Amino acid sequence: MSSNQTGMNAPAANQSDTIQRKKGGRGTMIAVIAVVVVILLILVVGYSAGWFKSSNSTTNNSGCTSPASTTISGAGSTLVAPLMDAWALSYSASTVNYAAVGSGAGISDITGKTVDFGASDAPLNPAQRTAIPSPGVLTIPESIGAAVPIYNLPSLSAPLKFTGQVLAAIYLEDITNWNDSALQAINPGVTLPNAAIVVVHRSDGSGTTFAFSSFLSASNATWKNTLGHATTINWPSGEVGSKGNSGVTATVKSTVDAIGYVDINYALTNAVSFGAVQNPAGNYIVANLTNIASAVKDSNPVFPTPTGDWYNFTVENAPGAQDYPIATFTYLFVYTDLGVAYSTYTMDKAQNLVNLLLWMVGDQTGQGQTFAAQNYYVPLSTAAMAFDTSEINSITFNGAKITTCVPS
Amino acid sequence: MTRGNPFPTFPSRKTRAVSKWGDRIFLVLTAVAAAGLIAVLVALVVVLYHGSLPTINALGLNFLYTLTWNPQGNVYGIVPFAIGTLLTSAIALLLAIPLSIGAAIFLTQHAPTWLREPVAQVIQLLAAIPSVVYGFWGLIVLVPIMRYDVDPILANVLGWTGWFSGRHIGLDVLTASVVLSIMTVPTITAISKDSILAVPRSQKEAALSLGATDWEVSRRAVIPYARSGIIAGIVLGLGRALGETMAVTLVIGNANVIPTSLFSQGQTIASLIANDFFEQETPLELPALLEAALFLLIITLAVNIVARWIQARFQAGRAVGAE
Repeated sequence: MSSNQTGMNAPAANQSDTIQRKKGGRGTMIAVIAVVVVILLILVVGYSAGWFKSSNSTTNNSGCTSPASTTISGAGSTLVAPLMDAWALSYSASTVNYAAVGSGAGISDITGKTVDFGASDAPLNPAQRTAIPSPGVLTIPESIGAAVPIYNLPSLSAPLKFTGQVLAAIYLEDITNWNDSALQAINPGVTLPNAAIVVVHRSDGSGTTFAFSSFLSASNATWKNTLGHATTINWPSGEVGSKGNSGVTATVKSTVDAIGYVDINYALTNAVSFGAVQNPAGNYIVANLTNIASAVKDSNPVFPTPTGDWYNFTVENAPGAQDYPIATFTYLFVYTDLGVAYSTYTMDKAQNLVNLLLWMVGDQTGQGQTFAAQNYYVPLSTAAMAFDTSEINSITFNGAKITTCVPS
Repeated sequence: MTRGNPFPTFPSRKTRAVSKWGDRIFLVLTAVAAAGLIAVLVALVVVLYHGSLPTINALGLNFLYTLTWNPQGNVYGIVPFAIGTLLTSAIALLLAIPLSIGAAIFLTQHAPTWLREPVAQVIQLLAAIPSVVYGFWGLIVLVPIMRYDVDPILANVLGWTGWFSGRHIGLDVLTASVVLSIMTVPTITAISKDSILAVPRSQKEAALSLGATDWEVSRRAVIPYARSGIIAGIVLGLGRALGETMAVTLVIGNANVIPTSLFSQGQTIASLIANDFFEQETPLELPALLEAALFLLIITLAVNIVARWIQARFQAGRAVGAE
C-alpha cells in the first residue's frame, strides 16, 4: 500500500482491472457461499442460545428446599422498573429478568405468554381482559403510586392548592387563565398571574394518566361523560403532550405558566415540587409516602375477585383527614394455572415463580416490600398483602397445588 | 502484467495467490453485506404489513382519509400525522436550503483557505449530534426564544395570512420545523460543498472572463453544474426530517390533531409511533401504529423517487455529472 506513493505508473488503474477480472463469472458461487455463511451464523447463534439454557444449579434455603434456580422473566411498567431492579439484584433463589418496556407492552407480553409475569400501572381494561387467553390471569396489587400536579409559576413560593373540580376544569379548558376566580377562591391571599395556562399531559399511554383521569372523573360529571378514565385520553386540542414522567417534567419546567401531572415516585426522586390537592375531608394535602399509604389503608378497599374486572376498582378519595386523594395501585399479572398456560413449564419453575411473587409482596426482613420506602415507593397495606398472598397461593400447576418455600 | 515486472510495487507470485483467496473472501463478505441489507428492507416491509393486517382489514381505506385518531373510540386516521410530517419537513427544507447552499458557496468560493477545513469539520460534527440532544436543546433554549421573541413578531407581521394565528406557546409545528431545519443544514451543506468543489475551475474561470460578478458566477456557473449533487444532499436532509423522532417529539406538542396554524400543536408519524408504541389501550392500536409506520416508509420512498426523478431531469443534457 505504501509503495503506491513511489509507484511509477497509476496503481489505481491496475487495481480496478484486477477487481473487474475477479467479478466476472463467479456470481453464482459467491451467492451460494453468502447464503451458507448466513445460515452458519444463524446456527452458531442458535447453539449458543441453547447452550445457555441447559446450565443448572441447586439452591437450598433455611427451613425448606426450593427447586434449582431458573430464570423468571417479567415485562411492563417503566414506573416500577427501579423497584424491580432492586428486587432482581437482591433475590437469589431465581434469576429475575425484568424488561421495562411500558405497561401496555407488558400486558401484550403476558397475553402472548412470552413472559412469566406482566406489570402495569393500570388494571386490564375490558378489551385487554377479553384478549387474555385461557386459563386467565390474576391481578395482583404490587405497589402503590399517586399522581401529583406540578406547575411552573416562578412568582409563587408556597404550594398552590387544587381541587378535583378545578383540575378537571383546567384540563377541559373551561379554566384557561391562572387568575380565574375558581382558582383564586381556593388560594386566598395568593397573587395569581394574569396568564394563560399551558396544559401539559402525557402523550404516551400511562398508569399515571389512568389514576389522574379516574380522579377527575370522580370529581367532574362532564369529564366522566366525555373523556372518562383510561391510560390514554382523547385530550382537547390546544393542550401539550409530553412523553413519560420525565417529558412532562421537562416541558413544565421549561414552560412558564404550564401545569402538568407526574407520578409521586418520579417527583420525589427528581425533587420536583408539586401542588396540594383537596381530599374528601376538605383538607389540602401535599402528597408524601405517609399520607398515600394511609389513603390506601383508609380507603379500606374491597378487592374484586382475582380474575375479575378491576377496571373501576379505586383507592382514590380516601376518607381520612390527612389522606392524599389520588392514590393508585400498580399491578402484576400472572396466569392462574401455569401448567395449562405454558406448554414448556415444569413444576420446579412454577414453584420458583410462586416463591418470587410471595417474596415480592412479603414484608418480612429482606423481602420485597421492605425495599419500597428507600426507593420512594409506598409499601403495600396489610390488607393488600394478605389479599395478594392468598391470591398467589391459589396459583396451580396443571390443577395441582404448588408447594412454596419463600426466601427471606 | 507480465511475470518479471521490473516495478518494485508489483506483488510477487506468492502474494498474488494469497490475495486471490483474500479477494474471494472479501467478495463473499461484501455479497453477504449487500444481501443482508436487502433482506432487512424486505423483512421490514413484510413485518409491518403483516402486523398492520388487522387495521387494514378492519378499516381499509378509511385509514388514509379519516381526520381523527382516537384509540378509545377505535378511530384511526393517518391524515393529521401525514400533514404534520409533510408540513414540518417542507418548512424545515424551506429554511434549511438557502442557509445550506449559502454556507456551501461561502466555504468553497469565498472563505479563506485556513478557515475552510475547521468549519467543514464543525459542520460534520453537527451532523453526528444525536437527535435527542437537538430536541432537548430545542425544548430548553429554542422554545422560549420562539415563544417570547420570534412568535409575537411573526403574529404581528404575518398574522393576516392565517399561518401564524392563535396562542403561541413555543411548543408547536413551527418550532419543530426550525429544529428539523437546523438538523438538516449540516447534511445539505456537507454534500453541497463537496459537489461544488467538484465543479471544474475552467467553468468558473470562463464565467469570470466573461465579466461575471461573484453572484453571477455562483448563480450561473457553479450551482447549475453542482445541482444534482446539491439535490442529492437535499434528499438526504429530507430523509432525516421525515423520519426524525425524538427531536420532534420534544417540541411539537404531541397533539393528535390537524394543525390549524403553524402555532398549533401537532404530531408527525414518527413522533406518534415514538409516543404510543409501548402503551396501547386497545387491540387495534398497535396494528394502526404499524400501518402508520408502513405509510411513513411509503411516503419516504415516494419522496425519494420523486427527488431522484428531478435529479435525473436536471442531470439530463449535462455531459459530466458532479459527484
